[in-house]
Amino acid sequence: MNTRNLLEPGVYYLQGAQACLEGAITAGCRVYGGYPITPATEIMEHAALRLPQVGGRFIQMEDEIASACVLLGSSWAGEKAMTATSSPGFSLMQEAISYGIMSETPMVIVDVQRPGPGQGYITTSQEDVMQARWGHHGEGSAIAIAPASVQEMYDFTIEAFNLSERWRSPVLIMCEENVAHMRERLIVPPLDTITVINRKKPQDLGIPPETYLPWGHDVVAPMANWGEGYNINYIGLVHLEDGNITKYDLAMHDRCVRRLHDKIEGNVDAIAKLETKFVETCKHLIVCYGSVSRTAIEAVVEARQVRGIDIGFLRLKTLWPFPEEQLRRILPPVDTVFVPEMNLGMMKHPIAEALRDRCRKIVPIPCLASLHTPEYILAKIDEEIR
Amino acid sequence: MTPIKRFEIRIAGFGGQGVVTIGKILGTAFTVYEKKNSVNTQSYGPESRGGACRSEVVLSDGEINYPFVRKADIFVALSQVAFDKYVADLKDDGILLIDPNGVSVPASAKKSCTVYEVPAMELSHEIGSTKFQNSVALGALYPLIKPFVAEDSLRKALTDNVPPKTVEPNMKAFEKGKTYLTSHHPDL
Amino acid sequence: MKKHPMLKYMKETGPQGDRMPMIMCPGCGSGQVLNAILHAVDRLIQEDGARKENFVFITGVGCSARLTSHYLNFDSGWTIHGRTLAIATGALLANPELRIIVITGDGDTGAIGGNHFIHVCRRNLDLTIVCINNGLYGMTGGQVAPTTETGISTTTTPYGNTEESFDLCRLAEAAGAPFVARWTTAHPHQTIRTLTKGIRKKGTAFIEILSQCPVHKKQSPVQMLKALKQGTARVKPGEPPVEGKIPIGEFCNLDKPEWIQSYQKVLDQFSNHRTPVEV
Repeated sequence: MNTRNLLEPGVYYLQGAQACLEGAITAGCRVYGGYPITPATEIMEHAALRLPQVGGRFIQMEDEIASACVLLGSSWAGEKAMTATSSPGFSLMQEAISYGIMSETPMVIVDVQRPGPGQGYITTSQEDVMQARWGHHGEGSAIAIAPASVQEMYDFTIEAFNLSERWRSPVLIMCEENVAHMRERLIVPPLDTITVINRKKPQDLGIPPETYLPWGHDVVAPMANWGEGYNINYIGLVHLEDGNITKYDLAMHDRCVRRLHDKIEGNVDAIAKLETKFVETCKHLIVCYGSVSRTAIEAVVEARQVRGIDIGFLRLKTLWPFPEEQLRRILPPVDTVFVPEMNLGMMKHPIAEALRDRCRKIVPIPCLASLHTPEYILAKIDEEIR
Repeated sequence: MTPIKRFEIRIAGFGGQGVVTIGKILGTAFTVYEKKNSVNTQSYGPESRGGACRSEVVLSDGEINYPFVRKADIFVALSQVAFDKYVADLKDDGILLIDPNGVSVPASAKKSCTVYEVPAMELSHEIGSTKFQNSVALGALYPLIKPFVAEDSLRKALTDNVPPKTVEPNMKAFEKGKTYLTSHHPDL
Repeated sequence: MKKHPMLKYMKETGPQGDRMPMIMCPGCGSGQVLNAILHAVDRLIQEDGARKENFVFITGVGCSARLTSHYLNFDSGWTIHGRTLAIATGALLANPELRIIVITGDGDTGAIGGNHFIHVCRRNLDLTIVCINNGLYGMTGGQVAPTTETGISTTTTPYGNTEESFDLCRLAEAAGAPFVARWTTAHPHQTIRTLTKGIRKKGTAFIEILSQCPVHKKQSPVQMLKALKQGTARVKPGEPPVEGKIPIGEFCNLDKPEWIQSYQKVLDQFSNHRTPVEV
């Protein structure tokens, strides 16, 4: 891959927004289509600056719908593409995401979440995390991940592109306003130590156009692109493995949609990542994601060291597909599970379902429009446990 | 350099007083030049225009989890509105650095924390514009954080974060602030 | 029996292909438009040495959108209603060698796709828009469209259309498209000639083709083709329209900077040397 003008290995002091875009171009993103929206605009502005420097193309589109559609066209024409938006724009992009799921299109969308509903406000939030799974119409899942620091805005964005290429899926980077705007250390490692995954192509597997099945051959079909002589037809309707859409019957419909569903939901172990501390024998547990995990770990350490509370920490790095089995495998039965979220209780639902017979009580700790302080979480723990 | 587990600095003032830039400079100095760790955040949006604009830096030799100020070690207040809004988050034995022409500190606050004064706007005016008051404040802040960060790191970070044409007057302002504080407090 | 010359570009009817039974209604003009487009593409392949692999047909939703997936042996995309031009933009930015032909309808272009339509014209991206205008929404049963004439009765204007309609060609010109033309399904040779020119044109070519929808208009296709012939009159660029006749012809053919070419100047600043990266 062309590494001209990527960040040299070293230490940088950047905003999360900038780190995210640097990760994208390091992963090979060469097309960016965007639209201004607070608080995601910085990502786009950095893209306007950096894309031509690395030989890519940037365009500011006329709205968020167009921006998401740019990703579809670019991906089908063979280039990795990304856009960044905030919550109201994320709502606009749902049709394109749904289409991306059916057409199995690698594409990366960053949602810098802000409170809603409506225009809400321009501070921080985690109110779109359910929308990431259920916001697009129809069945099928996108993959959603939640970075919590500037370093992770870089690392997770590279991972997002790798996931989208590996699984031929839209990947949603569900970050928060405070992470996009904070400045923190970014360590760029030697570029040859960074893994970049590209989509499998029929040419690489020796499959010629005559025998190529656009949605077949494997769990994740090799992807032909426009301009390669494969006469590939990208579609949003239910289809057979060979791309046929007219031989419709309910059995074919069922097979097509289940295959899409199983591609992601049936490979959770390979896709989903999480992080744990102190969970081998803990009595209580905090389950968290995004920047709330930074507060949560601070609270957990203080609860353990200063207040003698035996509480463990589990952080979801991947929100969707939800790692229910992993949670059940890793966690011992616990008493109280605390779920701090910058919303009124969203991920608490799949968490409660996963731990339904593994805990006595689930206690959500909601906080709207600002990051929980350690005191806020500790007060809730005290209230429940003491 | 004195090792630090976690040191918290908050800077606040009116939008336009250059509060955000001070935070960026501190963060850059500590992370890029001292090769340590820091998180710099700021308040965003309408609340920063005409109201209290806030910038924060959390410094550490190790990992930083919670990225905001819990209880500030140092609070730099450049306007009364900002002071009133954030003084409660200052540690009881914390350090207060204020512009006395913009901020008056109630006697109760003066009892526990240490108060330093620097007439930042006035000193900036002496260079020709009030635009450099944030660099004056930064210069005055330097003696208070000397154990953690070298002056050279701050100067380099300042150069990185102001327009090239204004580096010279900003350096002058920095020097003014530093000299003012050290001359009034020879123990620093 | 002699084979139709354009069949070489179409899928074989058989287990894989779906050419027959044809999805279009009897007498629909879409098939004529597809024929014209394929003739134009064929000319570029034969005369210009254009590579068949570089052609991409993108459609949205509607009757016009059905022309690709079922029938064509080219790269294609049967995409989101109204969003074809945004998708085409992304494809061009990724691979400027692609020769993109967007086949769309009057609703796809003039209603839901209106915003993307005017911006593509403004940006002057190198692609060809073939707009099959039948003056209504055919696929969904004959509703009013932004191109339906005042007074016409449709399923959503049962008392007669009270609105004015778009002149999509004037819209394209005003938005900045350098090549704008209108023909009808009753003008096959002119259509093929203009399509060939339009696809060759470096920049946005907007070619509107008035077409008959006999089913929803409840007229015979022959009647409608006659009306298309008699109700239109050719004008040259700059000429005023003939009273009572819809103007047809090539309305403009300007030379303007094309988007990829203009952006290349930005890319050229960085292509040959390592830039000290400033973040």
